[in-house]
Amino acid sequence: MKKLTFSKKQLLIRCIELLFILIWVFPLLWMVITSLKLEEEVITRTFSFWPSHPTFANYIKAFTSTYIVNWMGNSFIVSLMAMLLTLIIDAPIAYAFAKIRFKGRNILFWAVMGGMMVPFQVLIVPLYLQFNSFGLINTLAAAYLPRIALPIGIFILKQFYEGIPSDLEEAAFIDGASRYRIFAQIILPLGQSAMATVIILSFINAWNDFLWPLIVINDTIKYTITVGIANFQGTHGTQYSLIMAGAAVASIPQIFFYIFFRKKIIAGIATSGMKG
Amino acid sequence: MIPGNKDTRDGIIFSLPFLVVYLAFMIYPLLSGLYISFFKWDILSTASFVGLDNYRTLFSDEKFYSSLWHTLQFVLMTTPTLLVAGFLMALAITGSSPWKGLMENVFFFPYIFSMTVVSTLWAWLMQKDWGIFNQVLINIGQNPVSWLTNERLAMWSVALTTLWWTAGFNMVLFGAGIKQIPKEIYESAAIDGATYIQSVRHITIPLVSSTTVLCLILQIIASFNVFGQVYVMTGGGPHGTTRVLVQYIYETGFKFFKMGYSAAMSYILFLIILMVSILQYTLLGRKENA
Amino acid sequence: MKKQILLVVLAAILASGMLFAQAAPETKAEGPIEITFWSLFTGGDGEFFDAMVKEFNASQSEIVMKNDMVKFDNYYTKLTTALAAKTAPDVVVVHQGNLLNYVPSGSLLALDSYVDATTLADFQQAPLDACRFDGKLFSLPFDVHPIVMYYNKDLMAKAGITKVPQSAQEFIEASQKVKQATGKWGTAIDNTTGVYKAYTLARLFMSMIAQQGGSLLNADATAPAFNNAYGEAALKWLQDLVHVYKVNPTELDYDAAMNTFKLGEAAFYFNGVWATGTLEQTAGLNFGAAPLPPIMGGEAAWAGSHTLAIPVQKNQDPKRVEAAMTFINWMTSHGEMWAKAGHIPTRKSVAQKSEMKALPYRADYAAAAAFALPTPRTAAWEEIYGTLSDKLEFAVTKNQNPKAALADMEQTVKNIIASY
Repeated sequence: MKKLTFSKKQLLIRCIELLFILIWVFPLLWMVITSLKLEEEVITRTFSFWPSHPTFANYIKAFTSTYIVNWMGNSFIVSLMAMLLTLIIDAPIAYAFAKIRFKGRNILFWAVMGGMMVPFQVLIVPLYLQFNSFGLINTLAAAYLPRIALPIGIFILKQFYEGIPSDLEEAAFIDGASRYRIFAQIILPLGQSAMATVIILSFINAWNDFLWPLIVINDTIKYTITVGIANFQGTHGTQYSLIMAGAAVASIPQIFFYIFFRKKIIAGIATSGMKG
Repeated sequence: MIPGNKDTRDGIIFSLPFLVVYLAFMIYPLLSGLYISFFKWDILSTASFVGLDNYRTLFSDEKFYSSLWHTLQFVLMTTPTLLVAGFLMALAITGSSPWKGLMENVFFFPYIFSMTVVSTLWAWLMQKDWGIFNQVLINIGQNPVSWLTNERLAMWSVALTTLWWTAGFNMVLFGAGIKQIPKEIYESAAIDGATYIQSVRHITIPLVSSTTVLCLILQIIASFNVFGQVYVMTGGGPHGTTRVLVQYIYETGFKFFKMGYSAAMSYILFLIILMVSILQYTLLGRKENA
Repeated sequence: MKKQILLVVLAAILASGMLFAQAAPETKAEGPIEITFWSLFTGGDGEFFDAMVKEFNASQSEIVMKNDMVKFDNYYTKLTTALAAKTAPDVVVVHQGNLLNYVPSGSLLALDSYVDATTLADFQQAPLDACRFDGKLFSLPFDVHPIVMYYNKDLMAKAGITKVPQSAQEFIEASQKVKQATGKWGTAIDNTTGVYKAYTLARLFMSMIAQQGGSLLNADATAPAFNNAYGEAALKWLQDLVHVYKVNPTELDYDAAMNTFKLGEAAFYFNGVWATGTLEQTAGLNFGAAPLPPIMGGEAAWAGSHTLAIPVQKNQDPKRVEAAMTFINWMTSHGEMWAKAGHIPTRKSVAQKSEMKALPYRADYAAAAAFALPTPRTAAWEEIYGTLSDKLEFAVTKNQNPKAALADMEQTVKNIIASY
């Protein structure tokens, strides 16, 4: 008797879980379904769930009548550069915060963390004028440079580096290794999983950036995909099936990115929470 | 820590690359933003110094208050729901479900999509006449709902979208926290006859409190900065009832070109976020230490 | 993991390579001069515009025009920041109502010395005058786009309406008849914010005040002038369509209003003439177009006007200015192509062209250009326009007391004007 209720409860829980899985997947599924319909089938009083005549017309239109391929390429460049530069500047300072007892460390740390709270809108006008004086308006470099100072990245790396036992460092030091060698040969290799997280966060961050690239890039062909898709919406009036096709195409790289780096992404974000 | 007292020198050298970038792209524009906030400037003409006028105007601007209030509404709607949702998801993916791996992936997946994609997608799902939500309602004999054009619902709809989009991030953080808890604690509790709910309440929740603080701070900062979803989904409507502060700042600065006023408002928002974060940190930090 | 890092580094090197390739200066041999242009035609008229630019490039070999389309929402943000940084393109579109945001700061080039008298004489007087400030010409009008009324002929026939309604009375009777006979809506006036604000309400409000002889702002656009009987009548009419006669749906946004009319679910639809091109492409829609009826007695209709202007550059290259002027001249004198999108051309010679006369609908509302209301001349217009739309949306949705609504709107507009 007891066993029966137990399994009934289990069944109920499984059902709830399944329901939520479906709820979470459905919007994406609907994006694809809509994109395979013709607009006449979308804006109609006779609703049908599946497309009656599945068509790739919207995808063909997205590829042929817009610069969607260029936009994706641009987003890739912007995100890769942002991610690489973020790593280069974030890892050393995170190490300094974690392991080096230098004067003013705490104040500096909080000054850096405070950067997380600055609404980006505050910075846009001064940044724009600054980039203009560098002559970088309408370049992809302008799209990623302001995004490479990533305080959360420092936070994640610092958390991780703090967990690396100091014995390792001290032993290396006694063997005559300099701070730079310790950093390069012990800390960096050990911190790979945290670094992967930072890589991914900065990639996603840069990929999703909207307002800044919108303002700083002028030529349609140089747009990033987020800006391109937002414009896409307007150029053809509101055509839902076309917009959904564009959104689906725009998401393909992220989906691949996720499939390949899934474990790292999740493990990485998790590290930051461990001893927060 | 390491003998040979070069810590200060090394600290500076290791910090330098970041600090240069930080000064150039954060501190400098931040300070020039402050400078701009004392001027009346349309970005094209010569700026004229107005002292604290922009800040004075702000305190009697009805639109500033309503936008701030809408932002607060969004913070109040999303912070508890996204934390609870993330926590429940984390319980699900750390429990005994045969699908926990699948759930982890499915719940986290939306987080990787860009704001534009998520917002246009949900605006389409919630479209009043042809969106799938209302089509389902009509098919089961209910009245269609104005998800995005009804003033009582619009902000909730945006919050719901945000929940779908980012709750997975909180789930991963909480999941990591829960996995840190030694199994023995649960086992001994089970021996003492604790139910699942009891052990969640008395073991899990207290032991992930540091994660909760982290999530809470990150979530509040993110929610205060909300802009994209609202901008794409409701455009601030109906009749301005979902216009959030960042949107008002953006419009003031980049639609009406009142740069000084826009900068002044940004500073107030910055101060609010800073204060809330410090308050949180000290309050929750103290509780944790006690 | 090592492999992965290697991969990332490789990819980055590749990426930076591409970057430098992009950053390399465009060394060009002698050839056609390339000039750039930003436009904001994303409301369905963009496709027609693209076709025109293509035709222009094909028509001659000296100039290549590169057109970048920016979503209407973001257009002025980009234009203004680019003007401030002196990185704006060679030619830009500016609405007549937005010129005042750029003229006082000297961001636009005065065009008087570049246009000859014959060309000037070919432009319609009113839209041309709207581009003049202190006697100087800062842009040339490309089109006029008044708000007009579209009507569904099938629905009207079903309801037994034979004549396009003119007065407020006729209009409401017709709408009610349609509702009774067909169960469809009488009117589809958007009254809530979607992708766009409920600008249609502001446009109609402004038009109907003018139809009674009033105006939205005073003559020099320094104070609101709508808190009176004119404003009350206009607002009340907009409210009553929804709440008293119940012939217009509530919570209708711009896209939904357009779709309602497209699907044949409303008999009367009000929008700018730019909707004509899109409506024409809708299969099975039997519609007509007419100037905004004199609902409040007189004839007046809100109208916008796209004008073409040349930004001031750091080093103004006379060759590029000349090329830009050639482009502007070509575009305005081929207005019949632009009319396909629905807009009303601004040059007298265009109106005479047979292609122009062959276009359906346009002739029906071309008369509207004669009583088009120019946008008030104030730098605060953009904010006033948006705020009024929000407030009208509220007043119509909530059926707010018109007197209270107008008083509130008056105070708000006063504050806005004071803040510029």
